Amino acid sequence: MKPSPEKKFRFYVFGFYLLLFVIWQALFSLRIIPDYLFPSPLQVGWRLWELGNDGMLWPSIKATLVRMAIGFSIAAGIGLVIGMPMGMSRVVNSCLKSLFLGLQTLPSAAWVPISLLIFGLSDSGIYFVVIMSSVAAVAIATSDGILHIPPIYLRAARTLGTPGYAMPFRVILPAALPRIVTGVKLGWTLGWHGAVSAELIKSSIGLGYLLYMGRELNDAAQVLGIMVLTILFGLLLDRFLFGQIEHRIRRRWGLLTSA
Amino acid sequence: MTQNSASVPATAESAVAAAPVKLRLANVAKTFENAGQNVEALKPINLEIREGEYVVLFGPSGCGKSTLLNLVAGFEEPTSGEITLEGRRVTRPGHDRLMMFQEHALFPWLKVIDNVVYGLGWRPGYRFRPRLRRQKARELLKLMHLEEFARSPIHELSGGMKQRAALARALAPDPKVLLIDEPFPALDALVRARLYGELQDILVRTRKTIVSVTHDPREAACLGDRVIVFTGRPGSIKTEIKVDLPRPRDINDPQVAGYAGKIAALLEEGQRETIPGEKV
Repeated sequence: MKPSPEKKFRFYVFGFYLLLFVIWQALFSLRIIPDYLFPSPLQVGWRLWELGNDGMLWPSIKATLVRMAIGFSIAAGIGLVIGMPMGMSRVVNSCLKSLFLGLQTLPSAAWVPISLLIFGLSDSGIYFVVIMSSVAAVAIATSDGILHIPPIYLRAARTLGTPGYAMPFRVILPAALPRIVTGVKLGWTLGWHGAVSAELIKSSIGLGYLLYMGRELNDAAQVLGIMVLTILFGLLLDRFLFGQIEHRIRRRWGLLTSA
Repeated sequence: MTQNSASVPATAESAVAAAPVKLRLANVAKTFENAGQNVEALKPINLEIREGEYVVLFGPSGCGKSTLLNLVAGFEEPTSGEITLEGRRVTRPGHDRLMMFQEHALFPWLKVIDNVVYGLGWRPGYRFRPRLRRQKARELLKLMHLEEFARSPIHELSGGMKQRAALARALAPDPKVLLIDEPFPALDALVRARLYGELQDILVRTRKTIVSVTHDPREAACLGDRVIVFTGRPGSIKTEIKVDLPRPRDINDPQVAGYAGKIAALLEEGQRETIPGEKV
């Protein structure tokens, strides 16, 4: 087994982040920007530690993750249900694709005002934002995946006597899975944006709420710390959960050149 | 699977000549419409294929032999003429005329054994009997020497193993006619030679009726009881050659090579109009 390029460069990547922290610390030490606006990495780490000890941090991380888990599961389900007829009928596809592409250009945060109007300050509003932010990506990926199924699978299914009613779930959906997973990954990221944006305005718990609190308290260390955490969790789930699933499916479907 | 006939006649001909006609093509022609223009792919073809026969359609690329196979499989409809299987008209794809493709086309989302089981799911007699399906699939995998890989995902198999798995999947629903579009083109010569042997082994054991397509004269001579030679575009039957050799044949056998030479010569004859009554 030869090491993957990422493994080979791990040392450099580590060095790069170390350098980033050194520059951050150096900028802080030069005092160009006042320290209450621009805290040092140590101050940020300390603030996060404090938040953790106060019992503020973990419930918030959990709340955001639970909202994502529930909201995004619903969104993925809806996306699949809409995406399948889109992929199987050119008419449905031409009608809905432009709509969904349009909706995708809308920033996640733009769903917050309308959710406030409809749902007020309740939690369902956050779910609404998560779902609206991510549904389009999943639906488009599902329909694209179906449209790009290698025809050989469909021909094989037909010659093996697959009846029409069995095609969607026994053949079409599994054959389209690699692209669907890519769409699910993108949808998760967009949903994550939506969740944090919605929490900024209408929640009393969650990563977005902690960001908002940091601003209210003029606590730049907290704001930066939560930002770093938000990036970290987003990245972790993207790379290690969805990235791994995607990689395994692509390998199995024979879409990776080197196994 | 049909009965295992232990003694196979040295010449397939004598047994086959008496066998009933399985597949009949009567004046089957195909014209494609391409950008408002009609392109004639196949001139009217008349062909009878008897039960247990292995017929190879041989010709230059673009001669319509693959089109003919698609018509028999039911993927496309003939512009005129009629294809009948056991007297019943062919209208759409089905596992009574199962097609094997150039690529193995195994489903990557299923394990090897589940691929073989898949086609049985729609067959009367197997429909609601999952245990029977698995049993049959296991038998076929054993026949293909793949039983240890039954639970492997497809991507872990080698090229030759994938083709054998595809053959097992194609044989599972016990098709009346097996259609093979250029068997094993993507494999190296050694693996191919072994697969030719295995294919003949299956043929001998199950007396399957097979129609395959190739542009390799050696493959045609090695596999076919009858080789139907096609002219170039638009395709029509130029002549046919009976390959009168015992099975299993080795692709490197000099007698096979002799037949291959004859078949290749026929192809190279090109546009010469009349072919003297080709008797081998």
